[in-house]
Amino acid sequence: MSQTPKMLKDLGALAGAIMASGVSVVAPSAGPGPSRFRRLASAEELAMPRVNTQLPPKEHLFPPTEPLLRFRYRGTDVELTDPPLPAEKLVLLGVRPCDAAGIALLDAVFLADPTDPFYAARRANATIVAVGCARADDDCFCTAVGLSPHSSYGSDLLLLPAEGGYLAEAVTDKGRQLVAAHASLFTDAASARAAAPPKLQRASLDGVDEQLQAAFADARWAAIAARCLGCACCASVCPTCHCFDIADEASARSGVRLRSWDACGLEMFTKHTSGHNPRPNQPARFRQRVMHKLSYSVASLGRPLCVGCGRCISHCPVGMDIHQAAAQFATSG
Amino acid sequence: MQPMDNAYKPHLVTVEAITDETPDVRTLRLTFKDPNVAHAFTFRAGQFAEYSSFGDGECVFCIASPPTRKGYVECSFKLAGRVTTALRDAEVGDTLGFRGPYGNSFPIETFVGHNLLFIGGGIGMAPVRSIFENCLDLRDQFKEITILNGARSVADLVYKQQVAEWERRPDLRCVCTVDPGGETPDWKGEIGFIPTVLEKMAPSADDTYAVLCGPPIMIKLTLQTLAKLGFPPERIYTTLENRMKCGFGKCGRCNVGPVYVCKDGPVFSAAQLATLPPDM
Repeated sequence: MSQTPKMLKDLGALAGAIMASGVSVVAPSAGPGPSRFRRLASAEELAMPRVNTQLPPKEHLFPPTEPLLRFRYRGTDVELTDPPLPAEKLVLLGVRPCDAAGIALLDAVFLADPTDPFYAARRANATIVAVGCARADDDCFCTAVGLSPHSSYGSDLLLLPAEGGYLAEAVTDKGRQLVAAHASLFTDAASARAAAPPKLQRASLDGVDEQLQAAFADARWAAIAARCLGCACCASVCPTCHCFDIADEASARSGVRLRSWDACGLEMFTKHTSGHNPRPNQPARFRQRVMHKLSYSVASLGRPLCVGCGRCISHCPVGMDIHQAAAQFATSG
Repeated sequence: MQPMDNAYKPHLVTVEAITDETPDVRTLRLTFKDPNVAHAFTFRAGQFAEYSSFGDGECVFCIASPPTRKGYVECSFKLAGRVTTALRDAEVGDTLGFRGPYGNSFPIETFVGHNLLFIGGGIGMAPVRSIFENCLDLRDQFKEITILNGARSVADLVYKQQVAEWERRPDLRCVCTVDPGGETPDWKGEIGFIPTVLEKMAPSADDTYAVLCGPPIMIKLTLQTLAKLGFPPERIYTTLENRMKCGFGKCGRCNVGPVYVCKDGPVFSAAQLATLPPDM
């Protein structure tokens, strides 16, 4: 269905209008700690970063810790209660295309049968408004994993930088509904063209999935991962990492079963109680991270489980670089 | 919003019976509290579940009882960490959690009409017992049935009650072995590691399917022995033990190569295993 292109002049005005309609806006904003997506109290708090936030918006759909179940002992019997499902309607505003793609990949995991009820409820209540990138960092490599600074994968509404504002592309029904609900902010702009996306420097990883598979036993993994600390910083800043642990916290009478983010880079992740660890050293664990993201998931999900946001590279305290590691096998076969 | 279908919510089960198999392995017989669940519950041999002690957490074990024996499920576990300590603390009548069944299962339909060889090492006998007793309960559908049950020592042999029964049956061959040094003065079974004893038994690979489970090193060496005896990898099945949390493909923990052990396994043929990275 062809539509007249629409222009949005001001992102802050959209944030204000959404909030005025009673829907929460979660967007990049200034605040203590790392730059991240926060619930805005007013549209003025919106502060789009030059390139991207330090933390992805993932935590608003898949919180670092959340209850899965509550229990209470009644004699020898036990009473179980489901935690309430999240009901807050929200718009994730100012999501970069890499992070929007990250959400689509979380969907592929959590909405697959059997559906994760907590993620599904948050996801159903969330509308993703992405803003295409005008600039890129040295660590950005979305184009290496089949995306682009202007790709619409995972977005409900995509706003591309253009002369005088943003060119709006409603990608899904949710996006079209959002535009319709705030129609006065979107003006017809038949001749508007989006600015050219920034050029990224890093080489394509197309086809690297097979080369990595062949390189499982390659001796270079030991050298590549020699300095990896196993701190799992990479996983905590990743928009697609979704591994979690489940553990109970309880008093003598009642308690809660919680899930918390976990990571394949941590030694305990696969360690059996017997002491046997299928991935007994850091090179084996770093290799798993690279393999799962760039090789195994191509077979299981149809595309890399990496969106090239570059955060794991920028934030690694010892300069581990997933793109460089994989590219090494791509070029040397 | 409520009620929701909470995939993480276990069924409540009651501890009906406790059997101490060895000094550190215990079997719990569990029955479902909700009569509707008890009535509707089915599973296939090889499938696993998450067992929980509320307040201590969840732990994954296979269902050790056969699906042909209705009304209860059994799990056998070795005392190891926090959850198994708590499960060991449970008394008859106590309430525990059971989430499952999860994963694939042994292809029993494929086994019909063939000879079967079962091999279990230590606590690895638990999944072997489920499919083995499943086949015993349908005995006339299979040709010759052989089982080799091994452990470190006589004290560490699991399912002694069942073994006594199996040894009396004329329609199957039951061999027990303990590692050298693990025998007692009155031990009448074999003495030797499973692969060695298996080689001596020399079961015919003709028309035979093999099922094995045990510690990683035992699986590795026994697969080599089976190959030597002429078993093609497509006719050897084993079940993998990986650390798991969710049990249905979300938490990422049991990922090995392109598979998740929880949903693509835990049962794999040796032919499938050969395609996976050596990451187990």
